[in-house]
Amino acid sequence: MTVQTTFGAQPVLKMIGIGKRFPGVSALRNIDFEVRPNEILGLLGENGAGKSVMTKIMIGIHQPDDGEIQLNGQATKLLGPVDAIKKGIGGVFQEGSLLPNLSVMENLFLCHERDFMQRGVISRRAMVQEARRLMATMKLDIDVTEPVSQFAPAAKQMIEIARVLWLAEQYGAQNPIVILDEPTTVLNDGERDTLFEILQELKQRMSIIFISHRLQEVLENCDRLHVLKDGDNVTQIPAAGMQVADIERLLVGSEFSGDRFRETDQHTPDGDVVFKVEDLGLRGAFEPLSFELRAGEIVSLVGLIGSGKEELCACIAGTKSHDTGTVWVDGVTPAKGSPQAAVRAGIGHVPVERREEGLALNMSVMDNMNHLVLDRLKTAGAIHRRKEIEHAHEWVAECLVKTPTIHAACSGLSGGNQQKIILSKWLSSNVKVLILDHPTRGIDIGAKDEVYRLIRKFSKAGIAMIIMCDTLEEDTGLANKMVVMSERKVVDVLDAAPEHKPTPTDLIKLIV
Amino acid sequence: MKNTTHMGLGRRVFAMLPVRLQPVHLTIFMIIVLGTVLALANSTFLSAYNINTILSFGAILMIVALGQMFVILIGGIDLSVGGVISFVSVLFVLLVGEVGYFAFPICLFAGVMFGLINGLILTIVKIPSFIATLGTGGIITSLAYLVSPRSISASPSDYGYFELIDGKILGMSNSFYIGVATFLTLGAFLRFSITGRNIYYIGSNIRMSWMSGTDIVRNRCIAFMISGGCAAIVGIIISSIRYGGDPVVGTPYVLNSIAAVVVGGTALTGGSGGIVNVLFGALFLSLLDNGLNVVGVDQYFQQALLGAMIVFGVAVTFDRSKTPIIK
Repeated sequence: MTVQTTFGAQPVLKMIGIGKRFPGVSALRNIDFEVRPNEILGLLGENGAGKSVMTKIMIGIHQPDDGEIQLNGQATKLLGPVDAIKKGIGGVFQEGSLLPNLSVMENLFLCHERDFMQRGVISRRAMVQEARRLMATMKLDIDVTEPVSQFAPAAKQMIEIARVLWLAEQYGAQNPIVILDEPTTVLNDGERDTLFEILQELKQRMSIIFISHRLQEVLENCDRLHVLKDGDNVTQIPAAGMQVADIERLLVGSEFSGDRFRETDQHTPDGDVVFKVEDLGLRGAFEPLSFELRAGEIVSLVGLIGSGKEELCACIAGTKSHDTGTVWVDGVTPAKGSPQAAVRAGIGHVPVERREEGLALNMSVMDNMNHLVLDRLKTAGAIHRRKEIEHAHEWVAECLVKTPTIHAACSGLSGGNQQKIILSKWLSSNVKVLILDHPTRGIDIGAKDEVYRLIRKFSKAGIAMIIMCDTLEEDTGLANKMVVMSERKVVDVLDAAPEHKPTPTDLIKLIV
Repeated sequence: MKNTTHMGLGRRVFAMLPVRLQPVHLTIFMIIVLGTVLALANSTFLSAYNINTILSFGAILMIVALGQMFVILIGGIDLSVGGVISFVSVLFVLLVGEVGYFAFPICLFAGVMFGLINGLILTIVKIPSFIATLGTGGIITSLAYLVSPRSISASPSDYGYFELIDGKILGMSNSFYIGVATFLTLGAFLRFSITGRNIYYIGSNIRMSWMSGTDIVRNRCIAFMISGGCAAIVGIIISSIRYGGDPVVGTPYVLNSIAAVVVGGTALTGGSGGIVNVLFGALFLSLLDNGLNVVGVDQYFQQALLGAMIVFGVAVTFDRSKTPIIK
C-alpha cells in the first residue's frame, strides 16, 4: 500500500523504514512516520497493530532493528526515556507515572530538584513559584503543594503533560513532542472538552501525538492521521474531510481473505447447554448480565477496554469475586472468587499475560503441559515418568509445538509455542468451558493459524469457549455468537454463523 | 535469542560454558578439590573415624537443609528452624523421662505444628515468610528458654532412648542412616506426589498456579510443615548425641541450612533445585567445616567463610533476569 505524504513544514521527528522484531514475531515492518511542528497527529490502529511499540521506540524504551530516526533533520538515536526527553520527546501513558503521595510540585520537578538550589539548599519558594507558573500555562487552578492523589484524572494528566513540557524546556528542546496514550478514557465529557481546548492552545509551541480508540474525537481534534495495521503502514492523511466510516475501513482493512479464521471448519453447536451465567454482576465493572453456551459453542465478547468484558471473564475464571448472580457449569455452581473451584468445575483460562500468568517459565515443556492431568499419570499412587513423557509427546504432536525436546524450559520458546503449550495444558484436562483471553496476541501468522485450528478442533469435540480477541475480524471470524458490551452492559447479542457474519462496521457502531 | 544482559556474572559464565553445566556440578567439583587438598594436607582426614564424622554431621545439616529447601522452593525462607531445633532438643530430653518412646512423635508433631503456624501466617495473615519466621523463630527460641533456661543433661536412667539414635550400625552413626531415610522419603515425595510437583509450580510462578486451580494455601503450608518436621528430627538427633538439651543449640542451623541449599544450587527465587543439590550442598559445608577444623583454621574466621559461600552461591544461582532492580 502506498503512503501519501503531503509536503509542508519540515518535520520535527522523522522515522524512516522502522522495523522491530521480537522473538518469534515482527512487530513493525518498514514504518515511515513523521511528526510536524505545531500539529496534533492522531496515531490509529487496532490492538496489536504496533502503536505501543512505535511509542516505545519514540521514547527510547525499544531500539528499532531497522531504520533511522531523524530529529529536526539530524539522524539520532533515542537511548532511553531520559535521552528522549532531553531531545524533546516525552509520553503520558494510561497507567500514569505520578507518585500519588508526593505533592504536585514534587512530582513536576522529581529528580530535578537541583535546579532549585539556592545557597546549597533547595528553595521551596522557587519551586512553588515555578510550579504555579506551569499550572497557569495549563489553565489549571490547583494548590501545587497538595498531594497528587487528591486530584481528578484530568488534572493528573495536565500535571504529567506540564512535566514533559517543563523538562523539554529545561533541556532547550525546540518544539517538543508529547505522546498522549488514550488520555480520554478516564475523563468525563466536560474534562475531555477542557483537555482538547488546552491541547489546541499547547500545539502553538509543541507537537502532540494523540492515541485514542474514539474515532470521533480523533477526527475532530487532530490535524493529521497515521494509521497502522498489523505492524505495517496503512496511510497518513490529513484529518480534515474524513468520516468515521472511512477510518474504520482503514483500520479494519478491506482484504477479507476467505478462510482466514477457518470459517469453513466452523461447527454449529447443537448439544446441551453446558455453561450459564445468570444475573452475574460486579459493581463498578459490569451490570448484571446473563448468557449461556452450548457444548462446543464459541462466544466472543466484544467491547472496548472498560466495557466490563475483562472483569466478566475474571469473575467466571474465579480470579475476581462477583457481587450478584451465579456461574453454572454442567450442573455445578463453583464458589465465587476461587480459581480452584472454577477449575474443578471445568472452567479453563488461557490468560493474556502468558509469561506472567500462563507458564512456569523455568520448568520444562512437559511439566507445563502435564500440570492439570498429573492425576491421570499415576501408577499405584505415584506419578509415573513414562506416562508423563507419553502424555507430553502426544500433546506436542497434537498442538505442533516446536521445541528441541519436551525437557526444554519454556522460557526459551517463542510466544507462539508458549501459547500452544498453555492451550495443550487446558485442552488435555477435563475442561468444559475455556476462556481464551487474546489467544493470538503477539504471535506470528503461522502460529495464529495453528491456534485457530485448535480452537475449531476442540470446539467440535465439545469444549465451549469464551474468546476476546485482538481484532474485531478475529472475534467475528471465530465466533458462533457475539456478545457486545459497552459501558458495562450487554448491548447486543449477534449470531455469527459462517454464512452471515456481522461486519466490523456494524460492530463498531454498537461498541462505541 | 538469549538475553544475557540482566543475568549477572555467575550465570553468564555458566551460559558461556560449552557443556550444559549446572551450579550443582560446581559444588561437586569443589567437594573433590577440597577433599583432595585436605587429604594431602592431613593424613587423618581420610581415616574411617573422620569420614564418619563428616558424613554424620553432614547428614544432620542435610536434614534441616532438606526442610529448608521445601520452603525455598515455594519462594519463601524459614528462619525459625533454629528455634525449632533448640526447642525440640530441650523438650525431648524432658519428655523422654516422662513419657518414654512417646517423646519421639510428640516432638515431631511439635515441629510440624510450628511449621503449620508459619505457613498460616504467610498464607492467611499474608506476611512474607522472611518476617513471619523471623518472628516465630524468636518466639519458639523463647519457648525453649522457658522450658529450660540452661542446658540440661539427661538422667542416666533414660540413656537407652538416646542410644537408640546415638548408636552405630556397620561403623556408621545412626544419624547417617536417618539422613539417608529422610533423603529418600522426601525425594520420593517431591518426585512422585502431586503435592511435590505443585511445590515446584508454585515456586516457579505462583500466579499461574493460583489461576490454574492449585491450592496455594495447602501446598505452602505443607512446605513449612516439612521444614518444621525436619528441624524437629534434627533437634531429637542433637539431644541424643549430646545426651542433653540446650536452648541455643539450633541457632547456627539457620544460616547453615540456607547456605547448604544455596551452595547446592537451589535458587532463592524458588521453583528450581532439588534434593540432590541439597545433598551436595550439605556435604560440601560439612567437609569445609571439618576440614577447617582439621587444618586448624580459626573458629571466628570460619563464620566469614560460610558467609562468603552464601554470597558466592547466590551469585551463581540467582536469576537476575526476573528482577532487574535488587532490593
